[in-house]
Amino acid sequence: MPQFRIAASLILVVGLVAVIGAGTPAVGQAPKSGGVLNVMQREDLAQGFSIHETATISTVWPSMPCFNNLVLFDPAKPVESMDTIVPELAERWSWQDNHRNLVLFLRKGVKWHDGQPFTSKDVKYTFDLVREAKDAPAKLRINPRKDWYANVTGIEAPDPNTVIFHLKRPQPSLLMMLASGYSPVYPAHISPAEFRTRCVGTGPFKVKEWRKGEYIEYVKNPDYWAPGRPYLAGLRYVIIPERGTRTAAIQAGRLDITFPGETSKAAAEQIKAAIPKMVIHEVGANVNDNLLLNTRKPPFDNVKVRRAFSLAIDRRSYVKAVHQGGAVVGASLQPKPYGFWGLLDKDLDQLPGYGKPADDKAKARQLLAEAGFTAANPLRVEIKTRAIAIYVDFSSFVINELKQVGVEATLTQIETAQWHPLATRRDFLVGTNLTGIGIDDPDANFYENFACGSPRNYTDYCDEQVMKMFDQQSQELDRKKRLAMVWDIQKRLEMDGARPMMGWRRDYFAHWPHVKGLTPHHNIYNFGRLQDVWMDK
Amino acid sequence: MRTYITHRLGIAVLTLFGMSLVIFVLMRLAPGDIVDILFAAAGYVHEGDKKLIMRELGIDQPIWVQYVEWLKGLTTGDLGKSYRYDQPAWEVIRPLIPVTVELAALATVISVLIGVPTGVISAVRQDTLLDYVLRVFSLAGLSMPAFWLGMVIILALVSWVGWIPPLIYVSPAENLKIHLVQFLLPALAVGYRSSALLMRITRSAVLEVMREDYIRTARAKGQGERLVIWRHAFKNAVLPVVTVIGIEFAFLIGGLVVTETVFNLPGVARFLVQAILWRDYPIVQNLVMFIAVVVILSNLVVDLLYGWLDPRVRYAD
Repeated sequence: MPQFRIAASLILVVGLVAVIGAGTPAVGQAPKSGGVLNVMQREDLAQGFSIHETATISTVWPSMPCFNNLVLFDPAKPVESMDTIVPELAERWSWQDNHRNLVLFLRKGVKWHDGQPFTSKDVKYTFDLVREAKDAPAKLRINPRKDWYANVTGIEAPDPNTVIFHLKRPQPSLLMMLASGYSPVYPAHISPAEFRTRCVGTGPFKVKEWRKGEYIEYVKNPDYWAPGRPYLAGLRYVIIPERGTRTAAIQAGRLDITFPGETSKAAAEQIKAAIPKMVIHEVGANVNDNLLLNTRKPPFDNVKVRRAFSLAIDRRSYVKAVHQGGAVVGASLQPKPYGFWGLLDKDLDQLPGYGKPADDKAKARQLLAEAGFTAANPLRVEIKTRAIAIYVDFSSFVINELKQVGVEATLTQIETAQWHPLATRRDFLVGTNLTGIGIDDPDANFYENFACGSPRNYTDYCDEQVMKMFDQQSQELDRKKRLAMVWDIQKRLEMDGARPMMGWRRDYFAHWPHVKGLTPHHNIYNFGRLQDVWMDK
Repeated sequence: MRTYITHRLGIAVLTLFGMSLVIFVLMRLAPGDIVDILFAAAGYVHEGDKKLIMRELGIDQPIWVQYVEWLKGLTTGDLGKSYRYDQPAWEVIRPLIPVTVELAALATVISVLIGVPTGVISAVRQDTLLDYVLRVFSLAGLSMPAFWLGMVIILALVSWVGWIPPLIYVSPAENLKIHLVQFLLPALAVGYRSSALLMRITRSAVLEVMREDYIRTARAKGQGERLVIWRHAFKNAVLPVVTVIGIEFAFLIGGLVVTETVFNLPGVARFLVQAILWRDYPIVQNLVMFIAVVVILSNLVVDLLYGWLDPRVRYAD
């Protein structure tokens, strides 16, 4: 067995090296037009094509080809940052009035799939809808990203080709949010409810058919604004709920590419061993495993107890044991080389849970003792988690680590339908959780997961001083200064046990070598447009 | 006969009514509802918006009101609207039914083709090497769950020949050859397990009949062994076999969950599981009622077949 593992690892390493050549657009090779790309889809659409009403990759991935954003992260660059934002429906943009106004100049001659012209009214309509402006003409049924636009005071459409976002204060991150796969522009002439059953966008592909539970089929949009795009004649997202069948389907060539965030390291090794020519990209998923400690309930209202828990869990062992190395350690923002804002290793080493395990566990026992929990009076806690294998594995590791510092933890599994209501009610003492971050950006992450009063701040961690730090970094225009501020915040959050991070998941995105022009990003949510993808067949 | 059928149909209506009540209440006893699931996909819950969606879907009404509305709809052919797909439930369910019925029928045919002859041969050649081989074959079939066998078939195919059946359903009208390729392997996987059961039942029924006086008489009259076995023994042993075939077919309509999932066939059972996970009550209720109707009708057909197969069985008018 060890020999087999070594051999499999070698094959994977060789394969990953080969990817560098195979995965990047072939230099000197002219893209070919035509062909239908068969794409893996793990479950049916949750809310149809209504991206603005969900926060799941199962919707955004198969819906992105229908839409365009104002701006988008460059599909050809795996790391997403302010520097990789490229125009889409906005040809160019300009920050004005000391970054209080963002003026976007729109592309002319763009048409919706139903033939109606795209104008600035559509942009105003979409973002008034999402930010729930008082005069918004419609309302989303579920609106998970309203907080992204909390700093927008108004949206103006002075002429059909210009849009101005007015802000309360400077916020460079607004452009990052607009570049996310979660920020498509909707047509003002169609009710948002209709996107649950059909899709009218300006995107490179038009929906041909959605057969419920079976597949979603797209055809090329012949009127697409980008010259020569898309290359493919169509896309077919094949819905395969069974994981084993999905893996068999990619191996057998029934599918051309996998689903973002779906392929673990072990699965990638299996695929590579079976099909050595398969291209596998090791990328960051921008999804983290985190520990929820309810800061409103004793004993977790005591920072010493929270820090003790954080110290008790050896993060490096966690990523090795639970993810077999298919994850990396990091604080509240995705670490390098996958993310821009993550803490450096030297800083991580100073934080609870990243030092020498024996030393950290000794410190944890001491802090627990100071809080009144000793061998004679051990802390007993119930850990709640979703009844899904990946959550249970995570929890089992945590329970074992806690046991080593004298904490007696038991596990209660919660049915998926009950998990978010429970988390929103804060009906837990300790929870184990997974969080996907739409963009690698401090504003999107901090305000959503750590800000006072945010519905998704499940631990209810709230610190006025930290809130001020959030606001300061948010309006800092100097990137270096902002990075330093963001690092300080991350250290503070980890020291406070606000939501201890266990690790950041990697994805091993796989595709056949005939698929060209596809660069998976270090974020599963933002590379689904597929307009530059072509097939060398 | 007419009275019998009317009586049975009357009982069937009562059974369906009971079923409707049970499934309706059970679904609502399960924790969470569609609105919780929708919010789960958004990662938060907003109580105000939750109430609005519940009102929009009509699940804010008392249970008995929802139940009466559903029953009223059933009588007029309106099955309600899928919560998940925002589409009439019938439009969602309709394409699923032929897939499952065909798979169940094909599996049943395969099970009969394998199970009945091997059961008879095993009985006739009792305690011979052939009997032992066939019994091991049937025991293996009973021991291997169909889904496991299905997954092994898929993995073996992909490992050995790098091929698996198409994963998007192709109707017979579109392409009969691909359609048959899609259905043959899952039908074999399911049919093998059912055939094992049929073989056991056939074997014991034939063994019992073979000891009867009329078999000895037939042989004494000089009839050929083949005629004795198939005309006299098998015909008299067939009643329990028919019962099992009926039960198996009815079971398969709702019991193909994992096989449909493994082979990615868009049938009733696979969809039912998804609908339960999504708390899509209208879909679940109507699919369960459909399965109940199939079970009741299968039993009725089996009972009527008794009278045709065995002249001694008569239903009083």
